[in-house]
Amino acid sequence: MELIEIDQVNKVYKKGKKQANIDISFSIREGEILGLLGPNGAGKSTLIKQIVGLLAPTSGEVRYAGVNVLKQAKKVASQFGYYAQEPHALGALTAREALLFTGILRGMAKKEAEKQTMELLERFGMAELAGRPLKKLSGGQKRMVGIGTTIIGDSRVLVLDEPTNELDPLNRRLVWDIIVERNRQGATILLVTHNVLEAERVVDRVAFINYGRLLEIDSVPHLKQKVDGRLKLELTAVEGEAGNLMKRLEEWGDIQQTAENRLRLLIDKNRAGTMLDWMVHANDLPIDEYAMLPPNLEDVYLYIDSQKEKAAGYVIREKKVGSFIG
Amino acid sequence: MLSVRKRWEASLANALAFVKGRMWTELYILLRIQVAIVREQWIWIFIMATIFPLTTLLFMKFMYGISSGEIMVNVIVGNIVFAIIMMGFNALGQEISWQKHAGYFTFYSSLPISKAVFVVTQLVRGLMTAMPSVIIMAFIGQFAYGIRLHYEWGLIPIFLLAVLSMVGVGAGIGFWSPDHQMTNMLVQGLMMFVGFLSPVMMEASQLPPVLRYIGVIFPTTYSASALREMLTKGWTHEVTVDMFILIGFIVVSFAFISRMINWRAAD
Repeated sequence: MELIEIDQVNKVYKKGKKQANIDISFSIREGEILGLLGPNGAGKSTLIKQIVGLLAPTSGEVRYAGVNVLKQAKKVASQFGYYAQEPHALGALTAREALLFTGILRGMAKKEAEKQTMELLERFGMAELAGRPLKKLSGGQKRMVGIGTTIIGDSRVLVLDEPTNELDPLNRRLVWDIIVERNRQGATILLVTHNVLEAERVVDRVAFINYGRLLEIDSVPHLKQKVDGRLKLELTAVEGEAGNLMKRLEEWGDIQQTAENRLRLLIDKNRAGTMLDWMVHANDLPIDEYAMLPPNLEDVYLYIDSQKEKAAGYVIREKKVGSFIG
Repeated sequence: MLSVRKRWEASLANALAFVKGRMWTELYILLRIQVAIVREQWIWIFIMATIFPLTTLLFMKFMYGISSGEIMVNVIVGNIVFAIIMMGFNALGQEISWQKHAGYFTFYSSLPISKAVFVVTQLVRGLMTAMPSVIIMAFIGQFAYGIRLHYEWGLIPIFLLAVLSMVGVGAGIGFWSPDHQMTNMLVQGLMMFVGFLSPVMMEASQLPPVLRYIGVIFPTTYSASALREMLTKGWTHEVTVDMFILIGFIVVSFAFISRMINWRAAD
């Protein structure tokens, strides 16, 4: 069942000068984890602010359970848990107060909110810090309390905007575990993240967004089929030679620059042997090191992005090399 | 016509249910959050609210060697109003503007809470931060300068109205300003103007006509007038008039802030 429908959503800022979202349409099914992936400035945060009803689309609409979210703002606020990128507003409160008060404001009974607060603090390994003001906690601990304020209260939908940013590996894993757990308990989850490789393990479907447009939406296995039969060659070019190396390799497959001296080549499996042989014997190639790997979700994204760009001739507002991984 | 009536009745029923139940919970929790913010900053609030009126008071004493009781009453009342300006207008305006531009309101607007209750708690916070300095200024005037002032129960509502009317203006500027620099310039400029070029530290008759007319639009004019009257004569007809004007300022500023807060897109 489609729980949230995004229907022809357009968002224009600065009196028409900036189009953050262009004709975006897709649905979020009840009980799924949908990953919203794309580079910085792709229009993801603008889109989710419209999904949670904090921003009105310039045209089009977002429907929750069949009704426009703008016509049921309070219901949406009571059934959605939204984790924003903005800093936490409750810095003066203690960790316990922040969780407890948010739970009560979400409509929980005090006793239940207290119980969940203590459970969350224990789970985050912060039970001993319960009485410490958020301002005196580390950045990662503050983030965990922020996540706690989002998930407290059994929301039907969780919208998480880059929840694992600035977290250490242990806490990142904990957050992914909690996301999967809440999903198993019935929550529908919309997840915005740069951390494509970690998200790959938890999402049911992925929507790729760039240039304000939806490039593709599908399940991870289906998306991976798009690069089936290919291998990824990751190369580090000699300093200042990335452009030259790109030109020399472009005939072998789909090549992209991912950082100042780094290139990524998607190549047909049956040409890979020949290509490697050529590379080894071509003494003048400006390569420092290389590695051959199977493609992952991030490669799928980069592949789709480059294909769509070529096919549709989108106007690229801002193309940043290597901006996908934040 | 019937559907409009039904919708109106449904809205009324919802509003009544809200007042009976959730409103008090929201008010209590949001007030506790505001108390926590004040609790954390109280020392700075106290210093900021006291230092400027106090130094102005001393400056005037050193400069002019004030001895006339009437002038001294004006100066003390002016400084009480100035303390309110400092906290209710300047500090609260800047704080709200900073919170808005830092994106803090996203958190509140994503929760199922009433905007009106949120605005009320912001005003109460302004009240909490301004009241101590008002009381301090009143005591300094009484004991350091030996001015005999009338202290009666009627002062309490006048203080509250004076503070809330200024807090409303401060919160309005904070919510409205397109950026933090604009808030800063606006509150600093207005603060100096209101403090020294409107009937706060002096009687309206001492000002040139142009400034007298401009002073009419500032709630500080009525706060100072009502306080001066209360402290020197008690509750007079003029105090009643000033009180109603201050209530008008509070109502207008509450309505203005409610519209200006960038809450949910549906509002």
